[in-house]
Order: sequence, then structure tokens, then C-alpha cells
Amino acid sequence: MMFSKEKTVVEYTIEKCKSCNLERKRKFKDGDYLFRETSKCESCDGLMQIEKIFGETIDQ
Amino acid sequence: MDFTNIDLDQLFGFGDDTNPLLMLIWILPIILFIFYGQRIQLQVTSGEIKKAIKKLDGYRTESRSELIDYIKKNMHPKEDPTKRIDRFLDYFTIMPVDMDPNGIVDKVRHTLRAREDYSRIHVKSISPDTDEVELSKIITLLEIATSLHMIYKVINHMYLTAKKQNNYPLILPLQMILPFIMEEAEAITKAIPAFKKGQPVGDGIGPMVVGKMMLDTKKETIAFQTVASETEFDGRKLTLLKAEGPGSTVGRPGDAVESLVSKNKPDIIIMVDAALKMEGEDSAITAQGFGAAIGGIGTERFQIEEIATKNNIPIFAIVIKQSVKEAITLMTKEIANQADNVRNQIHEMIQENTKPGQHVLLIGVGNTIGVPQ
Repeated sequence: MMFSKEKTVVEYTIEKCKSCNLERKRKFKDGDYLFRETSKCESCDGLMQIEKIFGETIDQ
Repeated sequence: MDFTNIDLDQLFGFGDDTNPLLMLIWILPIILFIFYGQRIQLQVTSGEIKKAIKKLDGYRTESRSELIDYIKKNMHPKEDPTKRIDRFLDYFTIMPVDMDPNGIVDKVRHTLRAREDYSRIHVKSISPDTDEVELSKIITLLEIATSLHMIYKVINHMYLTAKKQNNYPLILPLQMILPFIMEEAEAITKAIPAFKKGQPVGDGIGPMVVGKMMLDTKKETIAFQTVASETEFDGRKLTLLKAEGPGSTVGRPGDAVESLVSKNKPDIIIMVDAALKMEGEDSAITAQGFGAAIGGIGTERFQIEEIATKNNIPIFAIVIKQSVKEAITLMTKEIANQADNVRNQIHEMIQENTKPGQHVLLIGVGNTIGVPQ
């Protein structure tokens, strides 16, 4: 369509701390899959686990 | 000559019914449309269909080259796999004769499983060291490429037949189904990146919900590419079942239910699956109902229904509505955000329909790509 905006999907990963439930949103990285333990929590030293992986559509 | 003073009525003879020029202007197109109307319509429609076929050709070429590149990059084959992949793309399945429908489900299951098993063996033979997760992704990418190849071939065949016969009615059904076919083909093409990257797709919401409940439990392979584990909720025994992630597979829930029920009969079965939304419905809404919530060709559903009926086990279902495109592409934020809500609904459903001490079989149905347990 001449006037339709092109849509792009941005891939995100949500990490959640297993101890304090702190959530962090970042761009998806290759090798990410759900429930994978990724890093230590910045606030409580607990383990961060991938809670969600999803795409958000943005108009360009 | 005075061109500013032309009387159109006089020129075309609008006031005069017997003017031969006027009669020709009206009658010629009528005659033309009587004899050549269908051919003109055929030409107009052909243009639109040709454009769609060109798009379909683009989709199949893209999926084929993506598959070959992925195999070269991840399987590191010793020989160029192009020739073998081209042969796989032309594989076909002949469905069993249905003149006598007795026993047809077993025959369909046998044919499809033979196809699945032999495709897996043949793809693995390209590079025998490939791990199971990578192999499952490649098989899904091969299925995508095969589907797009077949769609292109069938649509092109219908178009060329109509053109060859100069037969307009023959092109009408094609014109009617083409928008749906294009929507599906576009969705299939857009599914490629998610499967290559191992990301969860919309159809994976069922396994995602059940997979989280399976964390920190002892998992057991109960059927091919299907795992089960046991836990407790509010005094009830829960058996959790899903396809084995994070590879791209739907598992064999029919066989798994058969095996589990024969060992320890549950009091109820709850199935969580993605379902196609209707036009006008919002995406990612949930709905509850009764009966086996499982898609596919129908063999798995038949098997689960048969076991449930024989053992008098009620089946409850929770579905998460989505479009075809959402079901096979990277999970949307709205669908992912429903996971906790669905888990709460499962808990409510268990409390409302069972008593403490009873046994519930919970099945997360769908493709488990990117969703372990």
C-alpha cells in the first residue's frame, strides 16, 4: 500500500529474579529460551530467570 | 469553423432514436460482452492472480534458500545439501482411501508417522552429529519450505489450467480462495525467523504455562518427544504433560495420555491450547469449554477422546485465542502476558471440578519451540 507504514517486530526478553521478583526487559539475544537462568539479580543477588520472550510491533 | 458552438445532442443524435452512430455505440459493447465477456474478465482476473503467484514463488524461493543456508551453517554437512533438500521438497503424502472409513484414523496416523520418522532419519543423515533440538528446528523449516512449495505448485496449476482452457468459471474458485491462501502463505513465511532463532511462538502458550509448573519436578519421557511429571496442588495430585522443549515439536500427546491413563487413571483431564480467533474477536483473550482442545489433522484428538470416553474421564479445555499468523510467529506481548492468568484459571478449574485427593491430568498442547520444562 502506498501510504501504509512498514511494521517491524522488536524481540524482547523479560528476566525475573527468582527471589525478589525484580523484572528486567532487554532485547532478545541468540540462545535465549524460556526459564533459562541468565545472571545474578542486581538488587538481591538471587538468580534471574527468563520469564517471557515476545515481539512488539512498531510502525516505522 | 466555430468549435465553441458544438451541439452534442446534434452530434450524437441524442434526440433522435434512429441515429445509427448512437445505436452502434450502445449495441457494439453489448455484443462484445456477450461473446467475449468471460475472456475479458479472465484477462482482468489473470493479472491479479499472476501477481499473487509471483509473490508465492518469492515465498517458496526464500524459504528454500533460508533452509539450505541454515543447514550449511548449523549442520556443517560434508557435501552440498541442495540436491537432497530439493528432493525432500517434492515429498508427497497419499492419504488412505476413505470409501470405507472404518479404521481410517489408524491408517492416517500410520502414514503421517512414517513420513515424520523417515523425514527425520533422512535429514539427520545429512550430518549425523546434529543434536535433537537443532534437528527439530530443521525439520520444521523443511515443513515450512515444503508447504510453500506445494501451495505455489497447486495455485500455479489451477491458474495455468484455466488459462490454457480459456475457461473463466475455472478461475473463479481460485480467485475466491486466493486471499486466504495468500494470508496463510505470508504467515508461514514470517514464521521462519522464530523457528531459526528458537523463539516461542503463539501456539506455545499451552506448553509455556505447563512448562513453568514442571520446573523443579522430576521429568519422565512418556512418549516420543513428550514428557510428564508429577506435582501437587491444594491436596490434588497433578500429572503435567507437554512436548519436550526447547526443540520444535508438538510431541505425541495421544500416546502419552494412553500410557498415563493405563497406569493411573485421572479423575479429570484439562487441556490448554491456542485456538484460532474469529474475525472481530480480540487477540489473546481466553475462553473455557469442554472437549479435547488439540489441533492438527485429528488423529491425536481422536486418540485422547477415545481414551477419555472408554474411561469416563471428563475433558475440560482452556484456549487462548489468536490468528493463524500469531500462532506460528514469535509470541506477541499480549499472548505472553496471559500466561499467569491462564495458570490462575487452571487452579480455579481444578478447585471447582475436583475434590482433595483426586487426580488431574493437565496437558499443555502446542509447539514447544523455545519452551523447556
